[in-house]
Amino acid sequence: MNPILHQSGKIELLMGNEAIARGALEAGVQVCAAYPGNPSSEIITTLAAVAVERGIHVEWSVNEKVALEVVAGASFAGLRGLCTMKQNGMNVACDFLLNLNLTGCGGGLVVLVADDPGALSSTNEEDSRLFAKLAGLPLLEPATIQETKEMTRWAFELSEKLSLPVLIRSATRISHARSNVRLGELPQENRKPFWEISQTRVTFPVVKNHQRLSDKQFQAAENFETSPFNLYRGPEKPEFLIITCGSGWLYALEAVVSLDLAHRVGILKMGTTWPLPAAWLLDHLSKAEQILFVEEVDPFLENNIKAFFAQHCATLGIKRFFGKADRSLPETGELNPDIVTKTIQRLLNVPYQTRPTEYADRARETVEQWVPGRDIGFCAGCPHRATYWAIKNALALDGRKGILLGDIGCYSLGMGASGFFQMKTLHAMGSGAGLACGVGQLGRFGLDQPVLTVCGDSTFYHAVMPALANARYNGANFLLLLLDNSGTAMTGFQPHPGTGKKANGEPAPILDLKSICRALGAEVEEADPFQLTETTETILRLLQDNNGPRVLILRRECALIRGKQQKKLFQMTIDQGRCLGDQCGCNRLCTRVYKCPGLVWDPTSGKAQIDEAICTGCGVCAEICPASAIGKEAS
Amino acid sequence: MNEGQKGLEEKVLSKDMCAACGACLGLCPYLKSRQGKVIKLDDCDLTTGRCYAYCPRSQVDWEGLQTKLFGPVYEAIEMGTSRKIVMARATDPVWKGKVQTGGVVSALIDFALRKGMIQKAVLTQREEDLLPYGKIVSQREDVFSCSGSSYISGPTLEALNQGPWKGEERIGVVGLPCQILALAKMKGSNLPTQTPIDRVVLTLGLFCTWALAYKPFKAFLDARFDHRPIRKLDITPPPERLLKVWIGDKVEEISLDEIRAFIRPACQVCPDMTAEFADLSVGTVEGMADWNTLVVRTQRGEELLEQAVAAGLIETRSLTKENLGHLREASLLKKQRALTALKEEGNPDGGYLNLSKELREKIQS
Repeated sequence: MNPILHQSGKIELLMGNEAIARGALEAGVQVCAAYPGNPSSEIITTLAAVAVERGIHVEWSVNEKVALEVVAGASFAGLRGLCTMKQNGMNVACDFLLNLNLTGCGGGLVVLVADDPGALSSTNEEDSRLFAKLAGLPLLEPATIQETKEMTRWAFELSEKLSLPVLIRSATRISHARSNVRLGELPQENRKPFWEISQTRVTFPVVKNHQRLSDKQFQAAENFETSPFNLYRGPEKPEFLIITCGSGWLYALEAVVSLDLAHRVGILKMGTTWPLPAAWLLDHLSKAEQILFVEEVDPFLENNIKAFFAQHCATLGIKRFFGKADRSLPETGELNPDIVTKTIQRLLNVPYQTRPTEYADRARETVEQWVPGRDIGFCAGCPHRATYWAIKNALALDGRKGILLGDIGCYSLGMGASGFFQMKTLHAMGSGAGLACGVGQLGRFGLDQPVLTVCGDSTFYHAVMPALANARYNGANFLLLLLDNSGTAMTGFQPHPGTGKKANGEPAPILDLKSICRALGAEVEEADPFQLTETTETILRLLQDNNGPRVLILRRECALIRGKQQKKLFQMTIDQGRCLGDQCGCNRLCTRVYKCPGLVWDPTSGKAQIDEAICTGCGVCAEICPASAIGKEAS
Repeated sequence: MNEGQKGLEEKVLSKDMCAACGACLGLCPYLKSRQGKVIKLDDCDLTTGRCYAYCPRSQVDWEGLQTKLFGPVYEAIEMGTSRKIVMARATDPVWKGKVQTGGVVSALIDFALRKGMIQKAVLTQREEDLLPYGKIVSQREDVFSCSGSSYISGPTLEALNQGPWKGEERIGVVGLPCQILALAKMKGSNLPTQTPIDRVVLTLGLFCTWALAYKPFKAFLDARFDHRPIRKLDITPPPERLLKVWIGDKVEEISLDEIRAFIRPACQVCPDMTAEFADLSVGTVEGMADWNTLVVRTQRGEELLEQAVAAGLIETRSLTKENLGHLREASLLKKQRALTALKEEGNPDGGYLNLSKELREKIQS
């Protein structure tokens, strides 16, 4: 049995995202939808794996707005629904969310957003909590894995009580951390959906509904007054108070313990961060005169509590606040225990060395000695590397300084060395083609640089289709390179409408990329990125056209998907006698420029070698070797 | 100073000093040519490289090369070392109407191939779009296909660098002065990784006053002639000096003033009208459309000519004193113009041309 379905009372080691999934299952969730995005993806993956067994519907939707609508549909018919996304996804979903807040929901509706402080796998590090305030929706922030499960379960109840969607904000260190979790009861029966036909879900009359939403916020705040997710730990009269939430709670706790300040410093841990529970907060704010806010990304609690303080300053008296506003803590990037500890140590003027210098040096030396020096870049055998090679050469040969507008996916790495620095923009899903709609109009003003854009297969369904329709309609000139690697690779190979598979593994109709592009009026060609010369020529030829949008579908399965399913395409060898190494005539083209991690430079012999453990046998390097020293044999 | 790709970029490519000879191409994966232009695909960080070493516009030790290839002391400052200068034409009727002017180049290459003096020849071919490229030939019909000029320079030497070459194959190359100079630089180079230059046993140079850059010239012709395919181009000798264009069944004429803008800047600083490093250099003869001028420079060149004459394939006549005078004058004038152009660009000492002060003064006096 999948451990996520183990019986009540058992203790399981769960990842934060699995705990969210379990919490939703315990709440009786029946419809779950999402578009993949780190660090949120594993929630739906986990639920999809048990969807058949639990008799629930779990889907990968084409984008976050659709996902939220899917779940809202279920909620309107009385079922409980969970919609998950990363912080960028909230931007896509928010148009619907900021109307859904006015109509309210039926069955419990939970929107879980996993933020990415430090932008470890994101294009930005926005703080999605601001949407809770913007939409006037209750917001919960779990601080431990156990709490993550409990909070998720409770969020459905709260949602039904208020008839409002409830937001949960997770973050990388919650979603991707693991801890023991005591499991609760799973419901035995599913609800039967019914749409109460007398109930309309329209935002009109807007002002009346807006007022109702405002009233519900007061109701929500009242619910939070006694919430077990809010707690205080510390002396009755602390000289210093830390207000924190999410992963900041454990950082603060660790700092206070390691600085031996438990008798002087109190920690106010908040699990319900919007709207603020007024009475509870007033009580605790009165405890200390110095207050530090510890929270990931934006000063959300900090600003809201300061505003709350302004409202109540007559009662509370003078306070001194520390946080991001006064730069006691960094305003950007991810927090960690060291940062928090150093800040507290500085503010309270207590001595503590977070990590002995000697230990730090030893750790660094060990890392330098044993970790292979690799740049961030495409995997060995990745078709994107070959694609960017062809793009680079085509643009150089074309000579008109073509502009490649980028998009979101593994191929975003095209901005760096492994994509030969070809990609020049990076914003939101589908923005490459959207920008191309603009830049592709500038020919009339004399822009004589060709315009190109890239997008992946999953991104195409998510947000590129409208841009392509726009391009055809308005006559924008550009070449769209559609990199079809048969999956949503960067987030973990989730299926999409082009893969013929649903989230739960059931077969699905394939929405053919070529047919869609043709139907949208674009000229479409296909090429194999591993055929470098032909692909380069095709790109070069398509760049010469000037008739609206053109699409080149570059089709090759992700090397990791391929690696899971079949053996190497080729067995690669390097003829050490032929290899020119760093001599004139080659100068390490394969290891210095092409830089596939499967190729390694051996400085002792002055020759390139194949790293058997890493090489996936794609065979592309045999084509680039100027000395024909790299051989490939069908394996 | 960087004498690798970076140096080539700084001194030649970025300054539009590239003659598109092809000497730097086919040697490595970093340089390619497209539409008459050398393009860098990736940076190469070597500080010495063949691309720089062989380039006829990087650094040229003119007198040193002359001494190395033709013996001591460079005295024939107008048009280089020569054993004899004659006029000649192909007599074999197979060449009639198929070749430019006297047909001597085609006839000599064909003869050298058939006599086994060379097994392969590197010539220049043009497709319908006029873009020249190097072609390796061994048969007469292929020599036919490469005859005629388009006045556009192209990367002929890329074919030489690329090969493939087998066994003991010996090669003859027909090239413009810049290409012949590049071959001389290859011969004189002592870089460890060599080109097939050791196989090159015969070089035939073509007289050249300038060549045109492909892209703008092609765009001009396309606009003028509505993209119709061009069969042949010819520039009539002075004083007429017209560009004749064979298009369909018509011959159109264009004044040279109209195309001067397309002359490669690299040609303005070229001192070499008569391919001074060739075994044998071939040009037109003023006022005699069916004859070629021949400057025989080496023993090998002389032997080839003598054998071809003996075989009855070429006839020669002596060049009139007047013609010879005009030729010397024109050749010297090209040298003077090159030095003036270099001076105007801020190189009073001859820039890339490492000429001794003495020689510079001699040329300019």
